[in-house]
Amino acid sequence: MSERELHRIGVVGGGMMGRSIATRVSQAGLGVVVRDITRERTDQVKDLLAKDLDREIDRWGLTQAEKKAILARIEFTVDLKETGSCDLVIETIHEDFAAKRALIAELDEVLKPEIPVIINTSTLSISELAQGLRHPQRILGMHFLYPVTTTRVVEVVKGQVTNDDAFESARRFVRILGKVPIQEFESPGFVTTRVVMPLINEAAHVVMEGVASAAEVDLAIKLGYEFRHGPLEWADRVGLHRVLNWLEHLFHETGEAKFRPCPLIRKLVRAGQTGARVGKGFFSYDSERSRLDRLPDDTPKLS
Amino acid sequence: MKVLVLNCGSSSVKFQVIETSLEMIEADTDRTLARGGVEKIGLSDSRLSMDVPGRKPYQEIAEILEHRAAVERVLKVLSHPDHGVLANVAEIEAVGHRMVHGGEKFASSVLVTPEVEAMIEECVVLAPLHNPHNLRGLAAARSLLPNVPHVAVFDTAFHQSMPPKAFVYGLPYELYTRHAIRRYGFHGTSHRFVSIRTAKLLGKPLEDLRIVTCHLGNGCSMAAVDRGQSVDTTMGFTPLEGLLMGTRSGDLDAAILPWVMAMEELTLSQLNAMLNKHSGLYGISGVSSDMREIEAACAAGNRRALLAFEIFCYRIRKYTGAYAAAMGGLDAVTFTGGIGENSPLVRAAALSDMEFLGIQLDEGANRTAPRGKEALISSSRSRTAVAVIPTNEERVIARDTVRVLGGVMPSFSVPGNEAPR
Repeated sequence: MSERELHRIGVVGGGMMGRSIATRVSQAGLGVVVRDITRERTDQVKDLLAKDLDREIDRWGLTQAEKKAILARIEFTVDLKETGSCDLVIETIHEDFAAKRALIAELDEVLKPEIPVIINTSTLSISELAQGLRHPQRILGMHFLYPVTTTRVVEVVKGQVTNDDAFESARRFVRILGKVPIQEFESPGFVTTRVVMPLINEAAHVVMEGVASAAEVDLAIKLGYEFRHGPLEWADRVGLHRVLNWLEHLFHETGEAKFRPCPLIRKLVRAGQTGARVGKGFFSYDSERSRLDRLPDDTPKLS
Repeated sequence: MKVLVLNCGSSSVKFQVIETSLEMIEADTDRTLARGGVEKIGLSDSRLSMDVPGRKPYQEIAEILEHRAAVERVLKVLSHPDHGVLANVAEIEAVGHRMVHGGEKFASSVLVTPEVEAMIEECVVLAPLHNPHNLRGLAAARSLLPNVPHVAVFDTAFHQSMPPKAFVYGLPYELYTRHAIRRYGFHGTSHRFVSIRTAKLLGKPLEDLRIVTCHLGNGCSMAAVDRGQSVDTTMGFTPLEGLLMGTRSGDLDAAILPWVMAMEELTLSQLNAMLNKHSGLYGISGVSSDMREIEAACAAGNRRALLAFEIFCYRIRKYTGAYAAAMGGLDAVTFTGGIGENSPLVRAAALSDMEFLGIQLDEGANRTAPRGKEALISSSRSRTAVAVIPTNEERVIARDTVRVLGGVMPSFSVPGNEAPR
């Protein structure tokens, strides 16, 4: 199998996911082209990216010099054609079938046939998105878990017609990001979403039934199974609207009752209490997204 | 003999061409024909620069994507009819490579063979940030210059003479036998070079001297060189331990680390970066990692800069006393490295009021020690000599290359000095 070298990576979409990926790629010493739709957007993305890096400097994870080097390797463009020089392109635009479909059809025209195109998705079907393209065999899926910067695992998803060459390049790309690729075939929710959603849903049911408070449920699971966060705080941190979407999607795709969204989650989403980002979900958060209402027992373990 | 010296980092290659021979080493007349480097390897605007004594500096910008291409480029420039210093590449008779970590496998510089390369490969786990790049440079140079001998010179080799009581940590012994966790020490080529030069400067045999060598640069370390052999050094399993450095913490209570990780919810990589890049002079002063800027800030009355300066010098002082005790006496203290060679303030603060160890600085000589030259800065009444010796690691590497090829390279390991397995 030919080992195509990866020197330059295209990232389409400058949201949180796109910025994290661009940062990691540049940190690994590769060139990055970030494409967003307007000049205002790319300027904004540039600013946000610098702010992300400043936050990491405050956490002692990065130095000013490294920040400069990271930014120097990232170019910004509004022209999709500029990704034509990339060895691999990953899209990170919003989770919408029509939008993603239109984008990859355009990429299919712009890129050489052997350049892998990675669709960032947790719910959409890779095979369906690739249908009817000129080169559907280079299309594959990837699912990054929240929070993208620190989570070590990435699901690499093979569609019906994805070829081994593209799949191997994608796996190498994940290793360059310093993460561990899990190889999977296409299936609703892949592995991680499918396994974790019933846990969150069940935790919400336990709270709704009044068996225990949200804080007690989370602390029990966190300490009991050595999780970094309990399932409800985790759901708050990804966003309850996202959790609700995933559950609905899985319920719709499989018809399994275990995925039927708990009414409490729906209730919070309808009230706009979608989690850490807005300051309120199952728990309360300050503007830095630090949780405010911890139980006295919920402290760092020092011995 | 013309020796090419290579030092390959993650995105850089530094090089020198040095003319040397066993006779020239003896007479100290070997000379650098060209020095330079390639920076930003992997980018489209990599920079190659070269200095040739007596000429205008040369520079070119080009896309250089990996180490092999960088070394190829270096060879091309060195043999270029206008900018070069060689009529052709065949004038290079040997290549000396700087290797960061030789583990317990290398107690001297060695001729590179496929077996040696495999052994260096096994040391990668000990220096994951350095050895892979060193090896990449080695592989590139070997494929581009297949007909000349290549010699590997290790940062750790000189300290292989340390006795187990100096290199074994107070941890469960299995960590040593299983993972080779022990003190290795670094800057070995520099400590060795300046201890030899100190003996020459004093006109005494190295075998009669107990010398404390202080390599104070970006990284800082001290060594106790007892009659020519390193018997202890401040850096440990990694270059983090010991003295305060520009951005590294040096010694600290290891129990702080799990505590800080829990309190600040840090990841391993954040913790590592904190210790290596956000600590030391920079972390304490908040001003700079550069001693010149720290000194300027001290002069301007910045109290945290002053504290950083004091901590820096205090640790040197503390280890000087410790190493004098370790060797049962002290004949000389030698300063080298960017700070050691150029900061009279640091030298004075580190060694003032040390007459109980026979140290008496000549304040004038310390202040006016000429840049880039060897100098004695202790007073004529000082029992213990204090010297400033400019280090030159590339020259040591070139010299070792010649010595290895001439069959006169001593091993630094001491028979019977191994820890039980």
